[in-house]
Amino acid sequence: MTSHSSPFLHPGAIAKTDRLSIVHLKRDLQTPTILKDHDEDDEGYSEGKVVNTRFGSFPHTTLIGLPWGAQVRASKVDTGSRGRRGQKQEKKQPQEKKRKRDDADSTEHPNKRRDSENGDVAISTPVEGKEEKEAETASSGFIHLLPPTPENWTSSLPHRTQVVYTPDYSYILHRIRARPGSSIIEAGAGSGSFTHASARAVFHGYPREADVNGTSKEEKLGKVWSFEFHEQRHQKLEEEIKEHGLDGVVQITHRDVCEDGFLVEDQSPKADAIFLDLPAPWLALPHLTRSSPPNASLGTSEAGTPAANGKAEASTTPFLSALNPTKPVHLCTFSPCIEQVQRTISAMRKLGWVDIEMVELSQKRFEVRRERIGIDNGAQRGLQTTPASVDEALARLIEVEGTFKTFHETGEKVEGKKDKGNPNNREKILESLVERKVYKEGNLVHRCEPEIKTHTSYLVFAVLPQEWSAEDEEKARVKWVVKIRTEEGQEGGEVIGISRRQLKKAARQAQKDKAIAVTATANAEAAEKGTEETLEGGKEDKIEVE
Amino acid sequence: MHSLVTPNAWVVLRLPSDSFKLLQIVPNTIVSLGKYGTFSSNLIIERPYNLTYELLDRRAGQKDSDLRIVPASEIHADTIAEEDAASNPKEAEDKVVIGGDGVEFELLAENGEVIIRSNRETIDDSARQTLTMEEIEVLKREGTGAGKDLIAKLMLSHTGIDQKTTFSLAKYKLLKTKKYLKRFTVLPLDVPLLTHWMMTEKDANKILEMRNEAVSLIGSWSNVHFSESLPDTEGGRWLVVDETGGLLVAAMAERMGILHPSSDFNWEGKPEGPHREEAPPATSNTITLVHNNAQPNLSLLKYFLYDPTTTSPPCPTHPLNNHLHALSWLQLLKPSEDTTYSSQIETLSPEELSQMKSAKRGTYYRKLRRWTRTTHIVNSTLNGGFDGLAVASSMDPSSILRHMLPLLRGGASIAIYSPTIEPLVTLADMYSTSRRTAFIQAPPASFAELDDEDRGVEWQGDEDFPLNPTLVLNASVQSARIREWQVLPGRTHPMMTGKGGAEGYLFTGFRVLPAKGRVEARGKFGRKKRGDDKVGAVVKGEMVGEEGVKTSNTEMAQDTTEVKSEDLEMAGL
Ligand SMILES: C[S@@+](CC[C@H](N)C(=O)[O-])C[C@H]1O[C@@H](n2cnc3c(N)ncnc32)[C@H](O)[C@@H]1O
Repeated sequence: MTSHSSPFLHPGAIAKTDRLSIVHLKRDLQTPTILKDHDEDDEGYSEGKVVNTRFGSFPHTTLIGLPWGAQVRASKVDTGSRGRRGQKQEKKQPQEKKRKRDDADSTEHPNKRRDSENGDVAISTPVEGKEEKEAETASSGFIHLLPPTPENWTSSLPHRTQVVYTPDYSYILHRIRARPGSSIIEAGAGSGSFTHASARAVFHGYPREADVNGTSKEEKLGKVWSFEFHEQRHQKLEEEIKEHGLDGVVQITHRDVCEDGFLVEDQSPKADAIFLDLPAPWLALPHLTRSSPPNASLGTSEAGTPAANGKAEASTTPFLSALNPTKPVHLCTFSPCIEQVQRTISAMRKLGWVDIEMVELSQKRFEVRRERIGIDNGAQRGLQTTPASVDEALARLIEVEGTFKTFHETGEKVEGKKDKGNPNNREKILESLVERKVYKEGNLVHRCEPEIKTHTSYLVFAVLPQEWSAEDEEKARVKWVVKIRTEEGQEGGEVIGISRRQLKKAARQAQKDKAIAVTATANAEAAEKGTEETLEGGKEDKIEVE
Repeated sequence: MHSLVTPNAWVVLRLPSDSFKLLQIVPNTIVSLGKYGTFSSNLIIERPYNLTYELLDRRAGQKDSDLRIVPASEIHADTIAEEDAASNPKEAEDKVVIGGDGVEFELLAENGEVIIRSNRETIDDSARQTLTMEEIEVLKREGTGAGKDLIAKLMLSHTGIDQKTTFSLAKYKLLKTKKYLKRFTVLPLDVPLLTHWMMTEKDANKILEMRNEAVSLIGSWSNVHFSESLPDTEGGRWLVVDETGGLLVAAMAERMGILHPSSDFNWEGKPEGPHREEAPPATSNTITLVHNNAQPNLSLLKYFLYDPTTTSPPCPTHPLNNHLHALSWLQLLKPSEDTTYSSQIETLSPEELSQMKSAKRGTYYRKLRRWTRTTHIVNSTLNGGFDGLAVASSMDPSSILRHMLPLLRGGASIAIYSPTIEPLVTLADMYSTSRRTAFIQAPPASFAELDDEDRGVEWQGDEDFPLNPTLVLNASVQSARIREWQVLPGRTHPMMTGKGGAEGYLFTGFRVLPAKGRVEARGKFGRKKRGDDKVGAVVKGEMVGEEGVKTSNTEMAQDTTEVKSEDLEMAGL
């Protein structure tokens, strides 16, 4: 039942059977659902599979085939036939209240639901042969049907661990250069939030059956090499990845990476980017080197080799690096505590990582609202309010003073215009909206949402350049001959003992002689001057003397 | 992508001052790092990225320096030694490490006598001013001894090193190191670095102060990714409004795998006077850019070898040639008034063509291509069905959405960046729950009289409802900022200074398709009786809607009624 594409990457125009979709109830309340055209689990609804929410019930059959983004009305479902509620998986919303609601509905809108008490029948009917009942639209309640994205998956996924949220993973993937075609290592996978986001980032096509074992092809296609040592989490994520059609893009390995490293079935992920969300990243780092430790004694002298604390790979098998040998590798570790950061960075330095940087990221979400302050604010008439200005306050004081006087002089109590009924009932609210247009009243303000995450984790970034031997350098110097200008224009000329003036004169002469040998220069000044300026326009053209 | 420095590639050089230089590495030229010196460009061509080099002292009579690759172990030697010292306090006492490679320095008098060493020793007053500023200048000019020697001497000359605390010593060393060491690092030019460079070294206003945090968030929330069509499923197409000189386009293109020309593109193999490859416009994995002027401003894309303004492009096979579709607002909104679009090129018969002079025929073909491309782009854009919208613009965002929303498919992601929050607050307010509820309960006449089919496209909004509030779900405003830290043994703390200016905000939402006819929301309509409540307490009446865009009024409550958050859902949403 592997799908050929993932709804995360290729949602298509409509919601389809067996594919993940997101049932959006309200802000921060979404239910991920794999749409089924029949009830495999046999939950006992005569309409087949049903998504139950506090805004109503939605049989899958009413969702399948709808365009993404569609607003969908709730259906009246045959709750009476449900025989085995409560023992099913956690995906469903808790439904106590909703049931009451349905009952209330049914009294308001009598329908034939009561007569069709056939729960027992439904349960005993074999799944395949079951005829799903046509769903009937309910009088109220709706959802929106959205295609899955890493963002809405992250905010609705079943939490098994702490997860990396959108602001962090967006910034991390950007900084570690996870791009279409990249190979990325991720450990531990946890609840799979980062896994989904990185799958989107590196995706560059699905492997076709034939290519699955051809590593060279896979590299170009982009791949997430995911590791998790917790048995159940590993298993659950593997199921999810399959259900989400990402099995060609993500490969999950059940492994303790600190012990056993990152090679999968003796193959190297050839990682371009690495993300470590582990309690002790410094224990995983010795497995992320370019070459095996040559000798314990060499220690830190060689870039990119494990220091003494790295476990040497068994010397019998030839060393295989988990990293892409022909690219700089970008790494990010994600740790909540500063002590972890210090240990990690210390290990990074000894292992030859460079450009080490640490940042933390803070996100704020804002509420946008209208703040209406003042006595005459319509909908809430009858409530005592804060005056909007000194003028209003004064006017009210004068009024109160008057009432007080009247009472003293005449003994009469002035009846305030008591508003009849609750000002907050439905009609009143609607009236204030439609007639008074309260949505336009007051000051438009914004403020931070009530609860903010003030710290998620520290992000440590580092780069491991590709190895470059003296031999490589020599070859490059043969191909790209080093041009060095001499003071007197003669290669290797002996200059000791010549005065400055003589040198300058000689240089001028040399310039005249070789005036043709002027080449464009790449100088920093030109770039500084602005993007419009061409190199040729740079002021400090260098003259090359051959 | 970025493995070795290819000839003519744009790279970033990070200098000892931590400033960045952008430059194109043309073979056989001399690279000048200003006061740090000059070197042959050939010394870094086809070398790995992210290597750090040191400019060696010029040999006598030579004007340019040779380079030496500085191994990571040397880069970190200082810190590692310091760390070891901290964990081994005893040893540390008589060892001060200077210069970055663990070597100790000593200063000799002319007669060869050791005046001071860099380890603990008494220094008499006469040794304190060993080097004058002039002497330092001479040392620099003559280039005797690499920068690190200079630093060692400077430090020794300053005052007795041992008299400073380790802390201030480290500070001192750091400052001097950055000032004089002749090291630089070669980095590949990509979107994160270009963004950083524009923010820190260039005019940040040109990119609307869009930091890397914002760039990455826009990418996620517009759900941009590589997405070519499959046999049975169409791929992705994204709409963009970009007033950042092409940075937003570049960021999206990088996420879609169409920014960096493939590495097998060979600069040297470039034929003479090549024409841009006239591949037909792609139909998936595309960026459709709507621009303000007759021509789009994409000047930053030249760093990725894409230049639509020249007839001899640096990379004739650049993926953006057929994946980036640009059209002006005129071409989108009033195509008939656009000259290119509206003046159809007559198809000429083979005879007519053969009678033409070759120059004229060339012109004819060019015009025909241009017209074909323009009409194709305009028509396919007008057909809509885009998967997402990304905006970084200083125009009123509601004016953009008014025209873009009809072009988005249901479920499409919307991400609008603004350097300041106000325009986004105004926009979010147009989608407030109370405004939408009012709209559903009593749609404006001008809307109600339209056919169901036309409503989505044709209705242009009115005073109360500048935009149809039912077309966008989950309208939210957010921001994200990083804070940088210094992590050094015993001296770990957040950076003391940073860049101010605009904070940078993002509006996000989803395009949705409202159900036909009236839809009643469901929710508990309740008010909680709280008899024991203190009368007169401030109760915030909050009408929290689906979108969480709240309307509220603060007042002194007289009774004990609390408006429940579901009221609004009840009321129609
Ligand atoms: C905080 S969670 C990761 C959350 C994940 N990044 C996400 O976004 O959902 C850390 C995970 O690492 C796993 N883990 C810890 N140490 C590990 C090791 N040595 N090898 C593999 N997995 C490990 C834990 O089981 C846990 O699931």
